[in-house]
Amino acid sequence: MTLGARLVLGVVLMVAGLLKVTRLDASIQSVRLYQILPWDVTAAVGSALPIIEIAVGLLLVTGTFVRVSAVVGSLLMLAFIIGISSVWARGINIDCGCFSPGAEVDASQTQYPLEILRDTGLLLCGAWAAWRPRSPFAVDNWLFAPVTEPAEDPDPTIADDKEPAR
Amino acid sequence: MTQNNRERLRQAQADAAKQQRLNRIIGVGAAILVVVLIAVFIGVLVQNQSHQAASNSSAVTPPNATSDGKAIAISPGVAKQGAPLVELFFDYQCPYCKLLETTYGSSFTSLAASGDIELHYRTMSFLDASLGNDASVRAGIAATCADEVGKYSVFHNEIYAEQPETEGQGYTDDALRDSIPAKVGITGDDLTTFQSCYDKQATKTFVTTMGDLGVQDLQAVTKQVSTPTVFVNGKNLSLNDLGDPSGLLDLIKQNA
Repeated sequence: MTLGARLVLGVVLMVAGLLKVTRLDASIQSVRLYQILPWDVTAAVGSALPIIEIAVGLLLVTGTFVRVSAVVGSLLMLAFIIGISSVWARGINIDCGCFSPGAEVDASQTQYPLEILRDTGLLLCGAWAAWRPRSPFAVDNWLFAPVTEPAEDPDPTIADDKEPAR
Repeated sequence: MTQNNRERLRQAQADAAKQQRLNRIIGVGAAILVVVLIAVFIGVLVQNQSHQAASNSSAVTPPNATSDGKAIAISPGVAKQGAPLVELFFDYQCPYCKLLETTYGSSFTSLAASGDIELHYRTMSFLDASLGNDASVRAGIAATCADEVGKYSVFHNEIYAEQPETEGQGYTDDALRDSIPAKVGITGDDLTTFQSCYDKQATKTFVTTMGDLGVQDLQAVTKQVSTPTVFVNGKNLSLNDLGDPSGLLDLIKQNA
């Protein structure tokens, strides 16, 4: 269960980050379109966001520091949800950015609930992984391996260097 | 006594193992943190560098650019005393901008030519971010390069005429670099000048800066960024008030 949650959120974050990282200009522009952050801050956020997304995605997929990275991933999703809701509430049409008289508004506006639904799902994945961070195939299993009782073992360093059984 | 010693030794081993586990966790954590911070730092650095590179490499400001770099002036210098300033915000990929252009474009430009209004075209490129391409910026570069050879207005119209049916499909380099110039009659030396300007993206800094300044002004006045938008003397003109093109000057005057 946690493995699934970890992989879903991790892969989505990595893909989202990779799509943006080669086009930082566009990434900054799209942060600006939300019109929440001050102008100068948007440049820093727009450049850093894709990299952080990739990093957190990688950590989740490999299962490294699952609790911490799941919390960061969930906070990102929460921020996106707030951003989308705020844009929706203000009636800004972000995907087209176009003046749309009357009926044409519907087509693009219906995207917002879908996007919020998607991000809520991902937020739940993150929350689950943060709540129950233990799962198979995770670096954490090695990293946080409990200290083996050195009952008869005279040299604990050797024991520690072994790959743990999965 | 020996029993006690063995107990103490075992305790020391356990402590050492715990310490090692802690070191391992802190070590890996710190390494990850450092790598991420360096990556972010490099990202921001590369971003700044590419901006610098763009502004250094034979950057060109088109001849009809306004001095504040916010717009291209249409028929500059012919506006009558006290003529209202009309600013048109548009993005080449926006379908409603095309609609406004085909319905009112020629009325705006002829009012500018007769000096009844001062007309500024403010090219935006924010749709690139939403649509995931770079066609708005490239179209903007092409139009401003056409200004280099004195064909801005016709080129501007022709870009809209060639707007892809589906929003997001974007303009091809072929269209912007070859077929549109041919249609508006850029030939010979002018064509060489134009294509070299387009290939070098010489006006890119001007275009992206014009877009940034446009976003700032739109946010300040209308609290949102949307195109097309028309400002009359710095105030937002409600596009719902637009009626027959023949009444355009009256409408502008009422809102001046």
